[in-house]
Formats: sequence, structure tokens, C-alpha cells
Amino acid sequence: MAELTRSQSFFIRHEFGIRRLHSLLGIVPLGLYMCIHLVTNASLMGGAAPFQHAVFWIHSLGPALPILEWGGIFLPLLFHAIIGVWIIRTGKSNTSQYSFTSNKRYKWQRWTGLIAFVFLMFHVLHLHGWFHITPWLAVMQPLGFAQFYPYNAASSLAAAMDQWIWGFWPAFYLVGVMATVYHLANGLWTAGITWGLWTSATAMQRATKVCTVFGVLLGMVALTAWWAAVSMGPADIAAAREKEQEMYDAAVATGLAFDDPHKRAGNDHAEPLSEVDVEAVIIEETIVVEPDSQ
Amino acid sequence: MTAPETSIKNRPQFINVRVLRQDEPGAKSYWELHKIKYEREMNVISVLQRIAAQATTVDGKKVTPVAWDCGCLEEVCGSCTMVINGRVRQSCSALVDRLLADNPDEIVLEPMTKFPVVRDLMVDRARLFRSLKRIQGWVPVDSYYNLGPGERIPREDQERNYPLSQCMSCGCCLDACPQYQKIELTQNEGESDEEFEQRQNAEFDEAFIGAAAISQAMLFNNHPTGKALAAERLEALSGPGGITTCGNAQNCVAVCPKEIPLTRSIARTGRATTLHAIKKWFER
Repeated sequence: MAELTRSQSFFIRHEFGIRRLHSLLGIVPLGLYMCIHLVTNASLMGGAAPFQHAVFWIHSLGPALPILEWGGIFLPLLFHAIIGVWIIRTGKSNTSQYSFTSNKRYKWQRWTGLIAFVFLMFHVLHLHGWFHITPWLAVMQPLGFAQFYPYNAASSLAAAMDQWIWGFWPAFYLVGVMATVYHLANGLWTAGITWGLWTSATAMQRATKVCTVFGVLLGMVALTAWWAAVSMGPADIAAAREKEQEMYDAAVATGLAFDDPHKRAGNDHAEPLSEVDVEAVIIEETIVVEPDSQ
Repeated sequence: MTAPETSIKNRPQFINVRVLRQDEPGAKSYWELHKIKYEREMNVISVLQRIAAQATTVDGKKVTPVAWDCGCLEEVCGSCTMVINGRVRQSCSALVDRLLADNPDEIVLEPMTKFPVVRDLMVDRARLFRSLKRIQGWVPVDSYYNLGPGERIPREDQERNYPLSQCMSCGCCLDACPQYQKIELTQNEGESDEEFEQRQNAEFDEAFIGAAAISQAMLFNNHPTGKALAAERLEALSGPGGITTCGNAQNCVAVCPKEIPLTRSIARTGRATTLHAIKKWFER
């Protein structure tokens, strides 16, 4: 390699550190965060209340939350994904010639990584919106992105799943989350080799079993979370919104939630409201009136 | 290795052999079909001898004899390695009766895919030997002085090292590796042999080192005298194209004819380089 650009030579000089960082970030914080995220979402199976409770708790971090989101999730994710794409480019899969299981796992690890990258980019855009800056949101929200309102967690999540062509987002999330679960479970196994945790063939086989059990369990949690979000009908959404309003008032009173209209659905956003939203807003208003009348 | 079953019924009269040929380095490769008379207990080497002797394709066209490499004829030198029916292995231990049991129609012979072809089935494995230099795959004694008897090697170490010492540098692990890509350079006009070799070595030294050399590093790092260079070997393996390029496809261990626990060597290198990096960080 005669002529290298500065960034290329930087990369080559620090390849070991960069690749080890890539491996580490995949587990902590990304893998760990993913487990917490999926378990939190699976709590929606128990109704809007436990889910809303968990979201309040997460959002009680207040102004520190964006720092955690960017420093602990988005930046590690971008680093892991960009280095991952570079790693994929260094390899040339040959499963048609050598169809060993481990060779297929190598190929799937790369494919699921790519799927997870695309999925997560759109998932964050769809629900979180990436940037919580008003002009950005003013463009993105009418386009159907940045649809999650933490103080109306269950109802806004379920409504967002029902957008666009029927079944698009549910299918997108199902494929995306399953690919990500495989990527994490198999990635744990390869990380164990990378760091030298399991070295012998028998230890690797044992680790495969452990990682498979972990992947299946996490996959079941993910399916639960997915089903809880996509199975809610308009009536469930309206009921959830009523419950959320009740919890919001209580949370504001006890200091768990902040009076932040930005985190509430349908309050001051100039977006066109869908039928579900209109229904929900009406319900919301009747309840908002209540404390004043007492 | 057990002798093949000699009482197979319906033995074919002829064997079709498809060979991927190439006239010189960098030239375009082409397929050629040869037909030879079936004999009992042939291996691919004896098939190639018949093909060279008749030097005529199935269409009756006179051709130059197919070139190939071989040495020991007992699967310990590695020089006759080629891709047989899509799988990299030694042609001396590839028995025709077994190949025909898997695919009775023909035997397909190709040169190794990750090394530059010299001619037909002969390849240039200079990169493999360069990789052994990268990790200093030797015991550093020059026999200049009498150093007395060597250190006793515990049985546990002997048992761990013996399988690794069986490596014959055949390159099967590299040919099957999805992370090991072919490097083929051509000498520029006016470039001296030394300059070309230097340029080639520079390219080799930043590309993936591969399972064979990683395993040899673990062999010599576990040797009482060889471990004097342990830190230097780990340094080389922590560099560009070192251990981190491994993608854990584990084809290496699956195709290794000597059944060397290559993935174990890789994982041990992972552990050793982890510790080496931490140590270096705190000693800086």
C-alpha cells in the first residue's frame, strides 16, 4: 500500500485498538442497552401503565437524557456500525464452497449487522427523531417520523406502528429486531474468541449453547415487545391515552415527570392529526378539565 | 488412512478430469477436459501423471502437459495442495475412488485461489513464508556457543505444542478463509527484483497474516527458548492484518488436513494480545 491518505494510515496504525473498541461497544453499552430496551418494551404486554411507569423513570433523567442517548447509545452505535461496514468490506464470503455452520454464521453476522444498521437508523428516526430541535421536528413529524411521545408512551408507540401502508412498520420492526437479536447473540460468541475468553473447541461449543439460549430468550422478549406494540387497536390506544393522562398528572405532582409539552402527544404540534389522534386528544381534553373543575 | 474399498462393483472404465489451466502468471485461465483410463487405487497425483503422459484433451487436441507440484506423496509437505471438487486439499491424499463415490461424473481440479498462479495447478506461496517471518516463527538460537541442555518441557506443553508443530504450511486454512484475500502484484518495467520483492513484502505485511502463522506464533511462544521473542510476536499480531482481521468463520480448522486446533490458537492469540495491550498501556 504505497499511497495512503492520512485517515487510512491512522486507521492502520490503530487497527487493533479500533477493532477491540468495536467489539467492546457491541456488548457494552449497545448489547446491554438493547436488553434493557426490549425488556422495558415487553412490559407493555402488561398494559399501558407499567410501560408508562418505566418510561417516566427513564425520562426522569431530564436534561441528562440526551447526553446519555448520544454518549451511551447513538455515538457508540454509529462507531460500531461504520467500523462494521468497513469490516464487512474486508471479507469475501464463500459459503457456497464451504458450507460449514460456522461459515454460515460468519455470513449471517454480516448480513444481520447490515440489516440492523438500516433498521436502527430508521427506527430511531421513526420514533425518536434523532434531533429534538424544533425546526427539524417541524419537518420530520409531518413526514411521519419522530412519532414517540414519552409521556404518552404506549398510545403514541402503537399509533406510530399503524402509520403508512398497513403492516409496513410491524413487518419492518419484526425483521429488524430479529436480525439485531441474532447479531447480538452471535456477536457475544465471537467477542468471547476475540478477547480470548473461550479458547478450546469444547469451550466454544459450550459458549455457542449459552449464546443460543441467550438469543432465544432475548428473541422471545423481543417478540413480546413487538406484539405488544403492534397488536393495539384504536380502542386500546384511546384507553391507553386516558391512563397516560392520569399517570402524567400524578407524575408531575410527585416530580417524576417534567411539565414538558414537547414530550406529550398532540399538544402543540402543527402536525395533521389522524383519526386516532383526534379521538385521543378529545379524551385528553375532557380529563385535563377535571382537575380545574374540582 | 485406510485402504479404499477394492471390491466396488460397476467401476467406471474412464474418468473425466476437468482442469482449470493457466499458461503463465497473470494470464487468463481456461478449462480443459481430459479423459483417462480408470485404474484401481489411484490418487489425484497418479491421475495428473496419466494426464501429463497423454497430453491430449478429450477432443483429441494435443496440449502441453498440465503442470503441478508435489513432493512427499504422503501429506506432510503440502506442496501438492490444490482445489479438488471445490475443496482445498492435498492431491496426494485425494483418493480417486472416494472422489468418484461423491461425484461419479468428473473430478474438477483448480489451483489454490488465494495465491498467484505460476502455471496451471502450481502456485506461488511466498506470502505464507513471509507471514512466518512476520511472527519470527523460529527458536532464536544460532548454535554459536554450547548453551548446555535445554529447559525441560512439561508434558502438558508437549501435548499442546505437538499438534501445532504438524503444520506443513500448505495454505489450506488460508485458501478457505473469507478474510484472506489474494494479493498478486506484477513487476513494473525497470523495477529491479529487489525493489519488486520489497514492494511485495510491504503489501504482504499489511494484509491478513492468516491462521497458519498465528498458530505458529502460539507454538513458539509456548516453547522455553522460543518464548524469548513472545512480546515481539504478539506485537506483530497486534499490528495491521494481525489477529483482529480474523472474522471467526472457522473454515481454517475445518479444512486443515492435519487437524491442527487453529481456532484455539486464534483464541489464545486473542487472549495473549489482550493482555499484551493492557501490559503495554501500563508500562508506557
